Amino acid sequence: MSPRREKLTSPQTRIALARGNRPVQHLLPIPGPVDTEAARRLFHAQRRAAARTVALLSVLLFGMSGAFAAFPVLGEIRPGGVPLSWLLLMVAVYPLLFVLALWHVRSAERIEERAEREHPKPGHGERER
Amino acid sequence: MISALAIGLVLVTSLVIGIYGVRAARSTSDFLVASRRVSPTWNAMAIAGEYLSAASVLGLAGLVLKNGLGTMWYAVGFAAGYVAVVALVAGPMRRSGAFTVPDFAEYRLGAPRLRKLCGCVVLVIMLLYLVPQFKGAGVVMALVSGTPYWVGVLLAGLVVSGSIAAGGMRSATYVQAFHYVVKLAFLAIPAIYLVVHSSPRTRTEALTPEWGTHFPETTPVEFTVGTRFSLDEPVTVTAPGGEEVRLSAGEHTAAEGTEYVFPEGATIPRPEGLPDLGGERWSMPLLDVGGYPLFETWSALLAITLGCMGLPHVIMRFHTSPTARTARRVAVGVIALLGLFYLFPAVYGLLGRVLTPHLVLLQGTDTVAVVLPEQAVPGSVGTVLAALVAAGAFGAFLSTSSGLLLALAGGLSHDLFQGSVPRLRLAVVVGAGVAVLLALPAQMIDINVLVVWAFTVAASTFCPLLVLGIWWRRLTLPGAASGLVVGTVTATGAVGWSILLPTPDGWVSVLLAQPAAWTIPLAFTTMTVVSRLTRPPDWAEHAVLRLHSP
Repeated sequence: MSPRREKLTSPQTRIALARGNRPVQHLLPIPGPVDTEAARRLFHAQRRAAARTVALLSVLLFGMSGAFAAFPVLGEIRPGGVPLSWLLLMVAVYPLLFVLALWHVRSAERIEERAEREHPKPGHGERER
Repeated sequence: MISALAIGLVLVTSLVIGIYGVRAARSTSDFLVASRRVSPTWNAMAIAGEYLSAASVLGLAGLVLKNGLGTMWYAVGFAAGYVAVVALVAGPMRRSGAFTVPDFAEYRLGAPRLRKLCGCVVLVIMLLYLVPQFKGAGVVMALVSGTPYWVGVLLAGLVVSGSIAAGGMRSATYVQAFHYVVKLAFLAIPAIYLVVHSSPRTRTEALTPEWGTHFPETTPVEFTVGTRFSLDEPVTVTAPGGEEVRLSAGEHTAAEGTEYVFPEGATIPRPEGLPDLGGERWSMPLLDVGGYPLFETWSALLAITLGCMGLPHVIMRFHTSPTARTARRVAVGVIALLGLFYLFPAVYGLLGRVLTPHLVLLQGTDTVAVVLPEQAVPGSVGTVLAALVAAGAFGAFLSTSSGLLLALAGGLSHDLFQGSVPRLRLAVVVGAGVAVLLALPAQMIDINVLVVWAFTVAASTFCPLLVLGIWWRRLTLPGAASGLVVGTVTATGAVGWSILLPTPDGWVSVLLAQPAAWTIPLAFTTMTVVSRLTRPPDWAEHAVLRLHSP
């Protein structure tokens, strides 16, 4: 075993351990001075994007399974000998999920970039603890 | 023998990579600094490697054989879970600085007691998830070496706790990534070989279930458990003494230890409670166990898709990305890798219905991926292919259960007690011991039933906590706590009841077996209503906004 092994804890755990049994007052410091209004706008934009993606995901999953139940004919069309419903479930659904996730990442990043353009922070890169 | 060799090779290679290959990346004590040198591709492979468990490698193929094509919805749910993760938790979770859900609860709601409650929920989820892993390992080992099931489970427990104690498996990104490659290659290569080398007739039969399912050759069936089954047409079987036994059409009970030799071409008897192999219920791509296919499919999809984000070992992985932006991108990569992997399990199920349908009678469908190659390709090639699958399954078991066991041990020693390294070791041993004890009587329960149970509990507890915690400013401590308790009790209780106790017929049994459709909304409602009745602290809004500022 490597002699340099250290116990890894998240910042939150370190705070919790250091605090011991005293009641909680401070979590990770919230970086100030923050433009609260801008942060709220960003939060709402991100929430809309997340809700839209979750809605589309539900349409894809529930819609596809619903279609199998409503249109049994999907199991009778056989491109290349394989029932169409099987093809959809076994193969086609994965690229769709991938594209949906990719699209969400694009829109989330675009929202963040716009927020940074409107309210640039001094000396700020994409940096977190 | 070859299988044992292949499994040993996977084990040794993992240890070697763990000890030597990762030293460069681990020389700095800070895990985060190390992980910044790991490219997102490696990181995504590591996450996929840890995530693909015995349920994916063995369980899915077995379920397709036994219950039909609809069970591939499980795989879709496993992949779709990461879409929900990308959309709802990946970025904010990374920004919160939390490694685990209890950490996040502490950050967002600032209460040590809630941390302990979350720690308890982690234990429940991790144990439910560990048991099927050990079951898978026991089944594979029993197949490979011919030892009884319990020896395999016990051995698996020893191997995992041993390899964690040796330090060879510690969250090492490259080991997990290596396991993804092992699982993909060792499942995909035999699958492709089997498809290419099976006769055109076998392929057509696999795709036309309406032709019915027959014994492909004269097949001896030894009932290791008492089985009730029904026959559509009479069949004459041979008993071990050589005398012929005529089984009429209708219900039969085979006592434990009965041996029958079924003639080639006979229709497969249908075990009680299972769909007709290849029948309409089997080939309809919806989950249908209790007779309400659409409800069951939707409930299972909800459980798996939302449960993914609540799995403690999944959440932990986002911290290995340097920024929130990378965390999201890594999760997208995981979806691609999972999608690639999930193309293959169904192949075993479809071919298995044609070539090894007797597994359904033996209640041994979880073994189809290992049994099928030897059955389909007699001779040394088949043995080698079976060895590949067995090694892949073992890799799946090894990586997932090590990750789970570490998360469980971490939860025990950090969130519930003040941790120290010897305690962590003890926690690993205790966790493995409990999981082994629970896995021993679980031989007859499908791997996936148990895994979906874990997902259901995660989806009814941590999913609402994370989603509301990240996206709703007014979540309060009493709200979160009451929602967690309600979610844990209902989800654990409902599935536990349906597995362990007799259930009434009809709707009730379906609601108990697939409870996600009511337990998740119940947990969400409890959290919102109780939160509405209480006041959030002043800093709550800041804590939320911080999660979203780049």
